[in-house]
Amino acid sequence: MSPDVLAGIAQASGFFVLLTTAVGVFIGLTVGMIPGMTISTGIIVLLPVTFVLPADISIALLLGLYVGGMTGGSFSAVLLNIPGTPSASATALDGYPLSVNGEAGRALGIAITSSFIGGIISFLCLLFIAPLLAEVALSFRTEDMFALVFFGLTIICSFASQSLVKGLLSGVIGLAIVTIGQDPVMGTQRFTFGEVNLIGGIHFLTAMIGLFAIPQLVSNLADAAGGTARIQTKLKSVLPHLRDLKAIRVPVTIGSLTGAFLGILPGAGGPIAAFISYDYTRRISKHREEFGKGAVEGVAAPESANNAVTGGALIPMMTLGIPGDPVTAILIGALIIHGLAPGPLMFTERGDFAFGLIFSFFWANIFNFIIALTALRVLVKLLAAPRSLLMPTVAVLCVIGSFALRNNFFDVYVMLFFGLVGLAMRWLDMPVVPLLLALVLGVPLEENLRVALTSSQGDISIFFSSPIALTFLALSALSIIWSLRAAWLRQRASPPSPKESSP
Amino acid sequence: MNTFRTLIAGAAALGLAASATPAQAFPDGPVEFVIPFGAGGGADIEGRLLAKKMGEILGVPFTPVNRPGGGGAVTYTYIKNSKPDGQTVGWNSTSILTTTNLGNTDFAYDAMDHVGRVEFQPQPFAVKGDAKWNTFAEFVADCKAAQGTLKVANSGTGSSTHAGAIQLMDAAGCKVVHLPKGIKGRNKSVLNGEADAMIAPLTGAVRLTKAGKLKILLMPTAERSPVFPDVPTAREAGYDVALDLFRGLSVAPNTPADIKAKLADAMAKAANSPEFKKLAATKGFTVAPLDHKAFEAMLAAENTKVRAIFASAGLLKTK
Repeated sequence: MSPDVLAGIAQASGFFVLLTTAVGVFIGLTVGMIPGMTISTGIIVLLPVTFVLPADISIALLLGLYVGGMTGGSFSAVLLNIPGTPSASATALDGYPLSVNGEAGRALGIAITSSFIGGIISFLCLLFIAPLLAEVALSFRTEDMFALVFFGLTIICSFASQSLVKGLLSGVIGLAIVTIGQDPVMGTQRFTFGEVNLIGGIHFLTAMIGLFAIPQLVSNLADAAGGTARIQTKLKSVLPHLRDLKAIRVPVTIGSLTGAFLGILPGAGGPIAAFISYDYTRRISKHREEFGKGAVEGVAAPESANNAVTGGALIPMMTLGIPGDPVTAILIGALIIHGLAPGPLMFTERGDFAFGLIFSFFWANIFNFIIALTALRVLVKLLAAPRSLLMPTVAVLCVIGSFALRNNFFDVYVMLFFGLVGLAMRWLDMPVVPLLLALVLGVPLEENLRVALTSSQGDISIFFSSPIALTFLALSALSIIWSLRAAWLRQRASPPSPKESSP
Repeated sequence: MNTFRTLIAGAAALGLAASATPAQAFPDGPVEFVIPFGAGGGADIEGRLLAKKMGEILGVPFTPVNRPGGGGAVTYTYIKNSKPDGQTVGWNSTSILTTTNLGNTDFAYDAMDHVGRVEFQPQPFAVKGDAKWNTFAEFVADCKAAQGTLKVANSGTGSSTHAGAIQLMDAAGCKVVHLPKGIKGRNKSVLNGEADAMIAPLTGAVRLTKAGKLKILLMPTAERSPVFPDVPTAREAGYDVALDLFRGLSVAPNTPADIKAKLADAMAKAANSPEFKKLAATKGFTVAPLDHKAFEAMLAAENTKVRAIFASAGLLKTK
């Protein structure tokens, strides 16, 4: 074993790091469980706390939250038929029927066990694939990075589930926002209007706090009903039976592998992996008719998949510095704040920290399993916590978070402005994730494009002479064509709307 | 409730008393120690330790606050506009000369008062560990054989590494493509062969050089670095150039001289503390405190140099 791996194990297994991992998991389970709080919101709210903590402890806390959140989402999905996170949507399909039949404990036990196995399998993928991929990525030149980032941007299309036009528009707004501040190559000021605070540009975490948290706060306030639904808090045995464990062998394998693979591909994320594995498990099942009425396989497959996504998504984040989902985008921001830029050099220059992160992820999965099983009954009671306490806390933390980022009150106004943008986008039914991806990827896109052209002295053929760049550009083309085709099929399948039929 | 009211009244009385007394002795409560770059980088790690030691010496906390943005412009504007009472101190660097000459601020470095220099480090010229060049002269010969084709990476357009690269390459009469790869991409671009060489702060190249992955050919600095004593200086190689990355302290303009003297004294003591010297040894920078007179003379000389370099590259912009 290399000294970096050993140093990583030591870093992740220190008392305080383990403690914060466990705390992160607990917060994650809670945040994931509460409908109206996504994992992204949870991480954003917790972010300012991490500024004052050492890097290893911060990342352990955030990873714990990420892993715990994926499992916590299933609790409300099973008990309330309201997925706590989008990734838990597929879990509700069979989890809730089981709960209605009085088998909530059994369903949750299966969900927790499947999450654990999915998480551990994805940990193994992370441990063995990430260092190799980092080695490969080290040879990527500026033009290759441009093509890779461009490919990352084409994922915007897959998030534009409702309307391709709205999705692309959201992405373009993000790219336009990125042009504020010093240009990344020459340092020329753009759209700063003489404001010193704008020279550094809009920090994407500031924008993200506004875009994600403010609309959620507003809709929670608007949701006057606010009454807590009646929850079946009395659970029978949670530990899964041997019979169930045998039944979920195949679904969990399918879910874990699908999840880890889709996690590596940037953009797919938890919900898609969960639905694909659910669908596939149903198709190969011998008793297909039981799905949707309370089949344990229907809980196991999506739950293992959404937890396997976490380890998969960490692979491109750590090796390429490209986020796979909003959560990993925030993790990149958190790492940069501690001066640890994720990317291929992370394994060379800070191998100890890179492996420390991987093993913190391992511990997060272990704690997730233990805490979820033992504290389930307590956690479920939190579902009844009044919103009137929760939401003001979130609001205060948003302000603190955006200020603490650069110790600059100007950023609080920027955050509030993006809150309004987020609200407008929600009313317009415009997806926010493309804007977010554009904010994260816009700077490297421009920087790599322009530095590559500086390097080739203006010769555009540099993008087509490198096999790596060419491969990613081809993949980008494929990705765009695929989404256009999907949009076209969707339009054909849906009946023509009255607007279109009338001249 | 009564106790609470008494407390408020007491606090108000104290406040009045405090505002009534004329100019209190420095330091009056915690000092804000402003770092112009983000947490975790060289400026941050070194600045935080210095702030801690200065706090211990003066008996009040020095609170490090990162105010990144605009290559230091945000911090320098903040320092220039702060109260001249010594309670706000800026952790400057060569960026105080670069960002002000790129037009990012509407004032020059001398719009602030300066306390002194703490440390400096050379900005070596490095190539890949297994590169064919073993001396700078060999690199220059290849460069002259094919002008304008070799690529030299730096930390960003207008950064001190960029200024150092322009200065050295111009002195060598060698035309290269300057690649603004950024702090993250600079080392990587040399390692994967995209750039043929780079100018980097010594602290950014020490680990990879000791691991044999990079090779330092030349140091454009006054004296040989104790970290790599075998590497010749630019002057020894026949090029009369030098541009170091320095760090020191600045305060608001018109800060009283006695306050500055107190700060300078604490700064020198903190810089010479065993902890700070230990950090210097592991990171590769040189602790060499200068008082405000020597520092201001140095700033003036370096400013002329930076302006000449930027003017030759068409980057000079003053408001």
